[in-house]
Amino acid sequence: MTPGALLRLTVLGVGVLACQPSGAPPSSDSSLVAGAKIGTPPPAVADGEWSLPARDYANSRFSNLAEITPANVKNLHVAWTFSTGVLRGHEGQPLVVGNTMYLVTPYPNVAYALDLTQPGFPLKWKYRPENAQAAVGEACCDVVNRGASYADGKIVYNLLDGHTVAVDAATGTELWRVKMGDLNRGETITMAPLIVKTRVIVGSSGGEMGVRGWIAALDLGTGKELWRAYNVGPDSDIKAGPRFKPFYPQDKVVNSGTASWPGDSWKVGGATVWGWISYDPELNLIYHGTSNPGPWNGVQRPGDNKWSAAIIARDPDTGEMIWAFQPTPHDIWDYDAVNENILVDLPMGGAMRKVLVHFDRNGFAYTIDRATGQVLLAKPFVPMNWASGVDLNTGRPNVNVDKATAQGKNVKDICPSLEGGKNQQPAAFSPKTGLFYVPTNNLCMDFEGREVTYIAGTPYIGGNAPETGGPGGYKGEFIAWDAAHGRKIWGIKEPFPVWSGVLATAGNVVFYGTLDGWLKAVDARSGAVLWQFKVGSGIVGAPMTYTGPDGKQYIAVYSGIGGDMGLLIAGDVAANLPYDVRERGTTLPDLARYTSWGGMLFVFAL
Amino acid sequence: MSLSTTLYAPLALVALSAVAIYRAQTPQTTRQMPPVQQTPSQPGNQPTYFVEHPDHIQPGLSFQGRWAELTNPYEGNAQRIAEGAQLFISYNCLDCHGADGSGAMGPSLQDNRWHFGGTPGDVFQSIYEGRPDGMPAWGGRIADDQIWRLVAYVRTLSNGHAVATENFTGKTIARTGH
Repeated sequence: MTPGALLRLTVLGVGVLACQPSGAPPSSDSSLVAGAKIGTPPPAVADGEWSLPARDYANSRFSNLAEITPANVKNLHVAWTFSTGVLRGHEGQPLVVGNTMYLVTPYPNVAYALDLTQPGFPLKWKYRPENAQAAVGEACCDVVNRGASYADGKIVYNLLDGHTVAVDAATGTELWRVKMGDLNRGETITMAPLIVKTRVIVGSSGGEMGVRGWIAALDLGTGKELWRAYNVGPDSDIKAGPRFKPFYPQDKVVNSGTASWPGDSWKVGGATVWGWISYDPELNLIYHGTSNPGPWNGVQRPGDNKWSAAIIARDPDTGEMIWAFQPTPHDIWDYDAVNENILVDLPMGGAMRKVLVHFDRNGFAYTIDRATGQVLLAKPFVPMNWASGVDLNTGRPNVNVDKATAQGKNVKDICPSLEGGKNQQPAAFSPKTGLFYVPTNNLCMDFEGREVTYIAGTPYIGGNAPETGGPGGYKGEFIAWDAAHGRKIWGIKEPFPVWSGVLATAGNVVFYGTLDGWLKAVDARSGAVLWQFKVGSGIVGAPMTYTGPDGKQYIAVYSGIGGDMGLLIAGDVAANLPYDVRERGTTLPDLARYTSWGGMLFVFAL
Repeated sequence: MSLSTTLYAPLALVALSAVAIYRAQTPQTTRQMPPVQQTPSQPGNQPTYFVEHPDHIQPGLSFQGRWAELTNPYEGNAQRIAEGAQLFISYNCLDCHGADGSGAMGPSLQDNRWHFGGTPGDVFQSIYEGRPDGMPAWGGRIADDQIWRLVAYVRTLSNGHAVATENFTGKTIARTGH
């Protein structure tokens, strides 16, 4: 293996930055990034269990299970299936603790517990929470749910209507239920809570509704709210106190969360927390991203709009903001920064660095010192043209002024589109190869800003942004990424955006799914597709793996298209709604030929 | 108390209550529930009474009281329709229902399919009172004649759209996400 893969980074002036894929795979079993490892200890469950949304606090989505290998994965077959009873986008992933599998559905957010020891996998219980129907019309991007966390005998998850619930894992009895969000203001919740020690970390949705976003901690035992931090507003609201040390000097400003906004506009400023949470037990920091600022129309909110479109590190005990960084200051493209922050230790510049790796909506892949918030590296991971790079002295993007959006101006062909280089779909990391496995979109957009009035409970957007496929004729790519050097190692192009999450395994097989319903198994080193199976409906959730009571390794994934891409962009609607029939969207005009709406769990084994 | 009285009394109470409720909610209508008819039992059998309503009861018929009587003063009025189109943007309707009502967070208004009815009065009610899946209630917060402009506009959106068959050869529309 040549040092440095056969990779060319082509810079075409003010045109599109594109990464050319390598053709040469790494040799033998050696990691391409020597010494790279997951940055947190493994979770306190057996290798064959999966108790947190992304398996561990680092959000690696890596499993130590190795029964399935590149040599035998061609023998994978459907072992069993389960119908969730619900249509709409099935984001998230099931959990397996002991010999029980736990699922959470899209709205109305039913939870199931399946007994894996019995033939036919009968239910141990089914929990059908009260869940306000009006939430359906307040959720911007389909009525998805990104999953539950398990700890201390409890299954904890969020309801679309803004409640957080804890359910007894053995009996399904509701233990506590807390109202966290105000539906009348357009606040819903879709994110998967993370249980950190005895705290449940929860964040809101509603960045398109003028919601002022927050992140909060509840007591696991009682549901009592311990702290709530906003992400925009005065220092006391965002909890930026004496311990707040943003890395870049220009960010060290008193009341940064109001000074960077005109007047009171921060009160409807977005910056919600609908993505994934990670946690470093050694540094005692949680990491989360924040959504776009409200409204999309940047003219109504000049300034950096801190701390929207930001990555924030907080103390989980108090919520105090410790550091913060904005991938997209004054975000005028709807490039939220809510994507997951994967905690890894990487060799960089001759030393092992404790970093987080973040594949941002804006198309840059960031490797950031997770103790300080310093950007060590930021490179494009998809074709893009809105910025020519990131200035490592300031962390700020060098914006291409031709691609800056404005009210009343239709700016054409901005890449990536507002869906981003990557959206909700979470990436995975393998310490065996040292590589990240990233589901990406290749989309561009036109964007025209428009003046908008804030009316509580209605969208606060002020923009129109139709999308097209990006350069190259493919709309998605599943890539392997070296975050120590900022380069793509290989990629598998797809006709549709790769909207599923990723699973990495110690057997050196990685899994992802496609919008048109293929679950694919890929050689983690070479990128060869080794196996695929067409499930009933497009995959927008994340595959996971567990050990069954029989000792075998199983791969489980939801099938059930929906989410932003499936609903808003494709324009297809569940067939059981005869009163809502939509014309096909121009961006993915053929998607509905290959998938319709559904709700299933598919489980595979050798 | 005889069996006949036991059966008759509660049935009559239910029938009379239904009539009373119906009358109370439709002060403008003059239709009356016809009296309940009873067929006496055959001699020699246990007495039963067959309650027959001459008007069959329609399943799924939305209860249309004063809303169904309403007519839109701006129906077909080009000027008011244009004003409605502007209100559709000002009140953020387009962000839930899509530009030109093509559907987004909320259902399509272009498909000539109506979950809650498509008459002017039905559409007025939907905007005024809101609907269970999260359509907000605008009544009392914006003027009635603004709602009528929106009704006039919304009802034009379905003109000429055929949605029953999708054979993937027709035109597509530019949709926007989040």
